[in-house]
Amino acid sequence: MPFGLQDPADRGELLRVPTVVGETGPLFALAPVVAELGGRLEVRRGDSHALTLRGREILFGPEIRTVAVGTDIVSLDQVPRLVDGEIYVPLGFLRDVYGRLTNVTFSRERDGLRVGRSQTGRLTVATDVVHLQGVTTVVLEFSGRPAYRVEDRALGIDVVLQGATASGPGQRPQDDPLVDRVAVEGRRISLHLKPGARADSYTLEDPFRIVFDVVRGEAGPRPGADPGSDTVDPFATRRPEPPEGIRTIVLDPGHGGSESGAVGPSGVEEKDLTLLLARALKSRLESALGVRVILTRDEDASLPHATRTAIANQNKADLFISLHLNSAFGASARGAETYFLSTTASDERAARSAEEENRTATAGGAPRGDDPLYDLQLILWDLAQSHFLGQSQRLGTLIQGELNSALDLRDRGVKQAPFVVLMGAAMPAVLVEAGFISNPEEEERLQDPGYRAQLADALVRAIGAYKAEVEGRGGDDGAAAGDGR
Amino acid sequence: MSRRVLVALVIAAALLLAAAAWWWLRDTGDGDTAGGGPDGAPAVSRAVELYFPGPQAMLVAERRELDMAEDAEARLDTLARALVEGPRRDDLFAPLPQGVSVRSVSLADGGRVYIDLVSEEGQGPPSGGSTEERLRVYSLVDTLVLNVDEARSAVVLWNGVQPETLSGHLDLTRPLLPDRSLIAGAGATEAAGAGEEAGAAGDGAGE
Repeated sequence: MPFGLQDPADRGELLRVPTVVGETGPLFALAPVVAELGGRLEVRRGDSHALTLRGREILFGPEIRTVAVGTDIVSLDQVPRLVDGEIYVPLGFLRDVYGRLTNVTFSRERDGLRVGRSQTGRLTVATDVVHLQGVTTVVLEFSGRPAYRVEDRALGIDVVLQGATASGPGQRPQDDPLVDRVAVEGRRISLHLKPGARADSYTLEDPFRIVFDVVRGEAGPRPGADPGSDTVDPFATRRPEPPEGIRTIVLDPGHGGSESGAVGPSGVEEKDLTLLLARALKSRLESALGVRVILTRDEDASLPHATRTAIANQNKADLFISLHLNSAFGASARGAETYFLSTTASDERAARSAEEENRTATAGGAPRGDDPLYDLQLILWDLAQSHFLGQSQRLGTLIQGELNSALDLRDRGVKQAPFVVLMGAAMPAVLVEAGFISNPEEEERLQDPGYRAQLADALVRAIGAYKAEVEGRGGDDGAAAGDGR
Repeated sequence: MSRRVLVALVIAAALLLAAAAWWWLRDTGDGDTAGGGPDGAPAVSRAVELYFPGPQAMLVAERRELDMAEDAEARLDTLARALVEGPRRDDLFAPLPQGVSVRSVSLADGGRVYIDLVSEEGQGPPSGGSTEERLRVYSLVDTLVLNVDEARSAVVLWNGVQPETLSGHLDLTRPLLPDRSLIAGAGATEAAGAGEEAGAAGDGAGE
């Protein structure tokens, strides 16, 4: 018998689960956990895994550090692995995904996993207040993930914990124009605002934080806040406005001007072909899907990365697609690949955060962080991107599938990388590498307008399928939408 | 006369032999004498893996024996210079164009490595596609961080400045953690892959 519950006790129960050695710690077979504790585990195309738990779909896969929980993304401390066809996950997956949705705690024991019901108790709260360009950002960083609700009151907002109490020094910022003080008292963390200020709240993960953006102005509805609710969704982060549909798409022809991008063996430059591909795709998208399409550049011009995503953000685009052609060392690499943003930066931050905590603990409470803007930048980065990674992954999967099947390209897969041009996009965003210009055969094909038209048609079908999904016509409509090229 | 010549020849041969023996004893190892330690600290020959771009858009480990100092920063410097110099295997590629060299490598608090690359006549970083760029950058990051325990992340500088990207894609404004997924044979089939590479690269360490 490979596993089983043993020795029920106050500390929880021991669940014997097969383990393998991961990069930085053990990985646990997920199927026995699901069999014992509930949920439905499915393997989908390309080793993608889906775990359905309490009405939530959790998407993850081997060698991928991020897990999509609905539209939220959780970053793991190490990647899951597939061993003999079975998926093994790190403890972080069980704690931060499975545990939060089921109120079950997991801890590692010599013989397996200790499983218990969530124990509530005392949490510590670190408070940061930073004012920049008219916005005061207040960050409440918790030692654990509490159940809570957010309550409005005159000149302030309270976070009321459920089944736990908090302790922490709070903060009274000097000369902040919008925030008077933050007080931590028992179950209640109170944000006292100055007259005329209002706050929106959202949450971030790893570590769990509640963040308030305080600005001057009238009070308005706060997306994500759920005043008065007794049941708190553990993944109730600030979500993007539910998309009503895909109406505006920004296409970004990679490189331009003095930046040639990749150069093929015959001297063809990536920047020229990406522009031609973008123009072909624009006209097809407009006619096939009836959407507004904006190009970040429609000439051979240099354009900073930040400007490219700013164009998308300012136009309230629903999708941002950066078009590129690839190159590698030597001539043999070929095929298409689609990227969405990786959370490598978060990993570095997690490492840094742990480092800071250790230093603070040993130095007797030195202030955390030597560069407040560093953290703030990462928070802003989180804002722009992290809420869209799940959707970006889905879009990338559809695009990659169409490119593979329609063009008989070698499947190089959907990948993640910290690409600058995707970071500032406040909407689902992918970077498509439509072929290797360093491969003489693909270079020649890519210069053919007919071939570029086929590429554009494949992209239209993928975007059409994504549009159909978003607009509630279901995934199967994708094929129908795709036929209307 | 002929006896005198014979004696002179014997003496000359003995001197030559002694010189050769001295030279051989002075320079043991396989010729990779890239660096001793600072202040004359003895360097020890160690097996390392240099990750070079391969033909299938992956990094491929080339095993070497390098004389490595005790000091972590000196080890990083040795690794970086050996990497930029290029591979021994014909099917692998140097990660950076000719004319690019390592100006300095330093190790900061928290295991953060700063590697400063310098190009002849101050040219900008090479252009290229995203795969080429990732292979260039992670060739450096993986080689430095995965071979030196004290290193945790790496920052790439070009002519002393931290660029936004090398070739227009990969964010270089933050320290990069190593990416094993780009290494051929790493990950799920690590054991088998490492064996293959060790076998293929075994010629470099022989006597």
